[in-house]
Amino acid sequence: MSSMNQNGLDHNYWRSLQELSDEPEFRRFLEGEFPEPAEVPTDAMSRRRFLQVMGASVAMASLVGCRWPQETIVPFASRPEGVTPGTARRYATVMELAGAVSPLLVTSFDGRPIKVEGNPDHPLSQGACDLFAQAGLLELYDPDRSRHVLEREGGRPRRRSLGDGEAAAAAAFTALRARRGAGLAVLSEASSSPTFAALRGRLRDELPEAAWYEYEPVSRDNERLATGLAFGEARRVRVDPGAARVLACFDADLLLDHPTALRNARGFANGRRAEDGEMNRLYVVESDLSLTGGMADHRVAMPSLEIPRALYGLAAELVLGRGLSLPPGYESVLPALEHVRAAGHAPAWMGAMAGDLLAHRGESLVAVGPRQPDHVHVLAILLNEVLGNTGRTVTYGPDDQRGLSHGAAIATLAVTMGKGQVQSLVILGGNPVHDAPADLDFGGLLDRVAESWHLSLFVDETSQHCRWHLPRAHWLESWHDVRDHDGRYAVAQPLIAPLYDGWTPAELLSLLLDGVRRPAHDLVRATADREPGAGDWEALLHRGFAAALPVEKAAALDGRGVVAAVRRGGMAKPAEVGRENLELVFVRDPSLHDGRFANNAWLQELPDFMTKLVWDNAALFGVSTAAALDVAHGDVVELQLGERRLEAAVYVLPGHAPWSVSLSLGHGRTAAGGVGNGTGFRAYALRNSSALDAAAGLKVVRTGRSHRLATTQDHHAIDAVGMREREKRSRSLVVSGTLAEYREHPDFAAHRTHHPPLVSLWKERPREGFAWGMTIDLSTCIGCNACVVACQAENNIPVVGKDQVAKGRELHWLRLDRYFQGDPDAPAVAHQPVACVHCELAPCEQVCPVNATMHNEDGLNVMAYNRCVGTRYCSNNCPYKVRRFNWFNFNSDIPDVRKLVYNPEVTLRSRGVMEKCTYCVQRIETVKIDAKNEGRPVRDGEVVTACQQTCPTQAIVFGDLNDPQSRVTKLTTGDRAYHLLAELNVKPRTAFLARLRNPNPELAESADGHPAH
Amino acid sequence: MATRATHGLYGYLAEFREPWDLIDAAAKVRDAGYTRWDCHTPFPLHGLDHAMGIRGTRLPWLVLCGGLTGLTAALLMQWWMNAHDYPYLISGKPLFGLPAVVPVTFELTVLLSALTTFFAMWGLNLLPQHHHPLFNSERFRRATSDRFFISIEARDPLFQGERTREFLAGLGADAVEPVED
Amino acid sequence: MGTLLTRDTIDNTAHDPTRPQELITGGYDFTSLTDKVCGIVERRGAPRAWWVALGFSSTLAVTMFAMIGYLIFNGVGVWGLNNPVGWGWDIVNFVFWVGIGHAGTLISAILYLLRQQWRTSINRFAEAMTIFAVICAAIFPGIHVGRVWVVWWLFPLPNYQAMWPNFRSPLLWDVFAVGTYATVSLLFWYTGMVPDLATLRDRAVTRTRKIAYGFFALGWRGSNRHWHRYEKAYLILAGLATPLVLSVHSVVSFDFATSQVPGWHTTIFPPYFVAGAIFSGFAMVMTCLIPAREWYGLKSIVTLYHLETMAKIILATGTMVGYAYATEFFIAWYGGNPAEQFAFINRAFGPYAWAYWIMVSCNVISPQLFWFKKIRTSPVALLIICIFVNIGMWFERFVITVISLSRDYLPSAWGYYRPTPVDMLTFAGSFGLFFTLVLLFMRYLPMIAMAEVKTVMPQKHWESKVSRPVGDYHGTNPGDR
Repeated sequence: MSSMNQNGLDHNYWRSLQELSDEPEFRRFLEGEFPEPAEVPTDAMSRRRFLQVMGASVAMASLVGCRWPQETIVPFASRPEGVTPGTARRYATVMELAGAVSPLLVTSFDGRPIKVEGNPDHPLSQGACDLFAQAGLLELYDPDRSRHVLEREGGRPRRRSLGDGEAAAAAAFTALRARRGAGLAVLSEASSSPTFAALRGRLRDELPEAAWYEYEPVSRDNERLATGLAFGEARRVRVDPGAARVLACFDADLLLDHPTALRNARGFANGRRAEDGEMNRLYVVESDLSLTGGMADHRVAMPSLEIPRALYGLAAELVLGRGLSLPPGYESVLPALEHVRAAGHAPAWMGAMAGDLLAHRGESLVAVGPRQPDHVHVLAILLNEVLGNTGRTVTYGPDDQRGLSHGAAIATLAVTMGKGQVQSLVILGGNPVHDAPADLDFGGLLDRVAESWHLSLFVDETSQHCRWHLPRAHWLESWHDVRDHDGRYAVAQPLIAPLYDGWTPAELLSLLLDGVRRPAHDLVRATADREPGAGDWEALLHRGFAAALPVEKAAALDGRGVVAAVRRGGMAKPAEVGRENLELVFVRDPSLHDGRFANNAWLQELPDFMTKLVWDNAALFGVSTAAALDVAHGDVVELQLGERRLEAAVYVLPGHAPWSVSLSLGHGRTAAGGVGNGTGFRAYALRNSSALDAAAGLKVVRTGRSHRLATTQDHHAIDAVGMREREKRSRSLVVSGTLAEYREHPDFAAHRTHHPPLVSLWKERPREGFAWGMTIDLSTCIGCNACVVACQAENNIPVVGKDQVAKGRELHWLRLDRYFQGDPDAPAVAHQPVACVHCELAPCEQVCPVNATMHNEDGLNVMAYNRCVGTRYCSNNCPYKVRRFNWFNFNSDIPDVRKLVYNPEVTLRSRGVMEKCTYCVQRIETVKIDAKNEGRPVRDGEVVTACQQTCPTQAIVFGDLNDPQSRVTKLTTGDRAYHLLAELNVKPRTAFLARLRNPNPELAESADGHPAH
Repeated sequence: MATRATHGLYGYLAEFREPWDLIDAAAKVRDAGYTRWDCHTPFPLHGLDHAMGIRGTRLPWLVLCGGLTGLTAALLMQWWMNAHDYPYLISGKPLFGLPAVVPVTFELTVLLSALTTFFAMWGLNLLPQHHHPLFNSERFRRATSDRFFISIEARDPLFQGERTREFLAGLGADAVEPVED
Repeated sequence: MGTLLTRDTIDNTAHDPTRPQELITGGYDFTSLTDKVCGIVERRGAPRAWWVALGFSSTLAVTMFAMIGYLIFNGVGVWGLNNPVGWGWDIVNFVFWVGIGHAGTLISAILYLLRQQWRTSINRFAEAMTIFAVICAAIFPGIHVGRVWVVWWLFPLPNYQAMWPNFRSPLLWDVFAVGTYATVSLLFWYTGMVPDLATLRDRAVTRTRKIAYGFFALGWRGSNRHWHRYEKAYLILAGLATPLVLSVHSVVSFDFATSQVPGWHTTIFPPYFVAGAIFSGFAMVMTCLIPAREWYGLKSIVTLYHLETMAKIILATGTMVGYAYATEFFIAWYGGNPAEQFAFINRAFGPYAWAYWIMVSCNVISPQLFWFKKIRTSPVALLIICIFVNIGMWFERFVITVISLSRDYLPSAWGYYRPTPVDMLTFAGSFGLFFTLVLLFMRYLPMIAMAEVKTVMPQKHWESKVSRPVGDYHGTNPGDR
């Protein structure tokens, strides 16, 4: 490691800790002859667990083909009447996840949705789309989805027809209505749906005895509570990073884990393009290494429980140290700040941050993440107020959410259930048995409830404890409406009739209230008609959301509430996290959210953006912490929190906070389905209702056993020799510099990738016609993985399973190379998306004995799958190693329903053939054909690849390099452009734009977090 | 004036124990002007060709033709297949480049030369010929291991039954015997 | 037997330039030599050792075919290959066996042109070994592809896609090079064997033998008019095979040299591969021949002198290979290409260093022992060292193929290759196939080229005894040409 620190100044990237570490058994592993031979699947197909059950699931041939919803749904682009078979049509809709809204545009082909993209007209998405909405497609076609009503008698489930189920429920509900809801409790997911709110209101009025609870294992309740304190009523905190020049994030992952993450990312990225003027500066204070942390110009890693102290320290520095004046009425927080200042010292970064914030009043932003307690949020609200940011970079809109926080709600419900006061429990979605706090023993309580209904997509852990399980309609099958974070009204229209006749929660509620199950369409329609500004129904569906924003009454800060909260927080005894008192932080899983997506193979095999882990989660340790605790990558340790125990694998992550351990929620499912069962470790087992976000007092006990973690980078060992070489080499691979360097030498990238003049042995033919090319901006690529999923969905890329990934056989056409740089405890991070770069002089082509890969007339490097013999010579000769080989037939044993997801424009690849990125040739051809039909040239920016389309930050630009006016040409010939491995003279068509960082000159650190010289 | 050979007689076979005796004898048979005769040895004897007055074979010329055929065929095939019949842009390279086609051209040249050599040699030798009168002789079975033979065919214009037999015996043969046809 | 033993003690390695080298010891004459060599084939029933060996190696061979079936049924994934290591043991074994297959044709062709008379005792055996090795080699490129059932697309044959192979691809050059080499070696071997088959035919006592050997003997009757063209043809074939021997492994080396993987992309490969091939080929000839001459009592036909001479060739080629290793390193450093430099540092000190050092110690160090006459004239020592050389040469191919691929340009795409049991059994099985064929050859075909050996036997020095000069008469003999 010392070597790392020495050549710290160089832009030396290394990729993970196996490389840095040199422990003995690692060396033995390296030197052993053929250590642990790769496992041979006796039957390759059945070995891949996710296929076992998919294969076992019943044949669903009858389902293949069109299922048009009865209600009229209105296409986005073309007229509703007259469906032309074989043509893709796109519909606007929305997806709601725990109250957060993603506005979408879904491509439907002959009645089956095949691609989910962001709604370009909607300000929240602007065309971009997150992982969950895109992967929702696979969930829709998941063969493990529940298809029947189940009634549990004596613990044994019996199938019931939907009719019987409905009748039984209706009868029971009638009785409940007679009792005015006495003994009834409803447990629901969080939702922003006005329809849902209306039904809930009716329930409150018509069944006054009934109790309503809302629970989300991962929520932003702390923020909601804080706004309650600060404004006297719950408010939604709306941030606008695009308007901020200085961002100070405290445990806040604005770019990924936020209701408006996509817009945040877009705004942030727009502020990073130095060509377009100034560059914003991002400070991040956090415990785990988040996506936002990876983009930070200055990142401070500290335990989550100590972050409140940091923000109070900052406040003290601003107010006491730098004389930032508080508005009248707030002076009484001063004692608290003085108390903090007296207690702790102010580190250098705090001063620099304070200076920056003061210098950018009104265009800075202090953001606090959902894991921080309410008073910290209140302090942030106060700071933004006094810095003049309120109304500029942050505003506070009304919040429909009412009542208890989710933690309190589930705890209260548990208590009432414990008292036996709940005879009937209706669970609308959610999976509390899996994800409720462990101390509540929700499953045990649920068994004691006489009448329990669970409406859910899968027969999951909770269904197994309920009397009745009712199949739920998937969001792509449902009518629904939402109010997004800005308060905008939007309607979700189904893309396909419910495959298994599932119900929506609203429908079940209407059954409960009215005795008849009114179709969701009618319910939503009724709300929409009442909704001001919703406008004409068809126009609303066509557009996907209401044009007009509702009028909101401005939020008024309630000084007393603020002062009280800040004093409470400031005077509180600070948490002392350390070797003797480790903290455990519960992190939302970037791929599985709270675990509800565990059965989604796309998400399971999606490499985590930092750890590159697939099919697993792991306990994340900092480098020096791991060293101090003597645990190593892959060790199985027992995490002890109070009397709770959990065994989990160790992943040593550079840049993770000291004495802090992060464990993501959602893995370790037992009834998720064939894909999700038994992956990773169940963090919920350690989560108590007293500490939902971070808990102190963690003990880590080594078990001496180890666990194979499958990662898409470093799924092999890196010895010291390789590590040194990587440091030397990576300098020219991921070129990065500071804003200052860029100002001085705008062409510094060219110098970093210096190479001798390139000469070809033969006369190259001039490019005629199109010359498609791409640029990827490393300054704005945040590494969010959206492009990877988009590529997988667009190009029918199979999932290969954990074993195959561990052997190095993943099939993703687009991979995100992640490089750490510098000091293992405070590294800089860079992401580099690498797919086929479509070389002009492609080395893969000349070695193919059967002409299976060659250049087409557009100069694309194309693969003829049915021509490929599978010598793998092309892959050997590809310097970028972007070609992917079908080692087995990864498309066999796919249940018919699962096949509905395939994109008909893209060939399925069989066993034994090579595949790779095609620049989405099918999209190129579609555009060319349209242009030809309309007798016009193809316009610049008209061809949009799947990865480019979904990129939240527009880091990817695609176009015609033969058109001197095209954006891609301008960027390729611009300052920051450089070609990967240009010295090989293969003339790649994909160019990268060097990454820029904007460190604070005050801090004696360079962009890479190293002492400047 | 010579009387025709007795019917069914293929010729006379003279056996020698030592190679050098055979060479001497062969030279004499040659000088005697016989034309339809031959020597049979377990291994090629140096000087015997000369002693028998055998002229160089035309085999090399046939091989040359074979080789040239291979060469041109290879060049034409590669040009036609990659540059003419189904041209592709591969690695931005010219459709037909000489350096790239050298290996296959060389191999095909050698292959056709070798095949010509093999088949032409057996062809010129009129082999395979699994039945031959000489195989009727019990002695002759040693011709492939340790004995040396001269055979004069009855069809030879100079062949005169007994005379020829005595002539052969006079050459120092260990044994002379008639061979039935 | 006793007499044999006395013969075996003869050491004919002492070099006396005044006398022609005595190549066949033990006072053999044409008759006894023929009896000796044919006796091996003609004896009733094979020795028990032969049956045991055959049983063992044929079992291995069957295992290989089982593994191949398993591979074709499931896919190439049953091997340890991955991305980036797209070629593993499959190609390593291919290059290994092709290399072995070089000694035969070299001995029969190049040494023939160089008038190396000592070749006659061993060329038949070496040529047979060549054929068998090439058979083993040809299996691997055939099965290593993803879709075995369309591997014929590599040949310029019309197919439903109306597409032709890409003649720019070294793999295609391979197809032609190996194909031609196999064909020519076979012709060569068979042509050389016809007179001996005739010998066996004429000595045959059973009808089956007479028919079997007779059929392949083509009715050869030792006619000198035939010998005349036969020798010309043999000379021409030798002339053709000589550049061929050099070309095959050069072309195989192009698979690597013309690609741009660091560690592959070097111009030294053709000569370096050829030297290595001859090196390993001779080692394999020794490995098979030393036991064979022991068991079949051929010590005075395949004499110590023969062994010693082969040892000298192994020493020479082994040194060339060592020189090539050194040159690679020098050029990597001198060429200043960082990727190349790392490729070689990685070989010697990376995760696969153990393989590299096995290669160096077996290929460069062990043959140096042949500087000592005691060692190069001791069959046991020769056998041991030759086995080491074979091991080393397999590892050379492993080092070149796998280590280079496992770490090329982008560190993010580096990998580590581990073979599976399927890999290992397939490789072991190829040895089974090889030795099965060798054993059958020793049992049913003349191991020694009798007709050729007879031309170099002592009694052959007869010219002096010609009583009078043979005139230069040239009769006109119809049918001569």
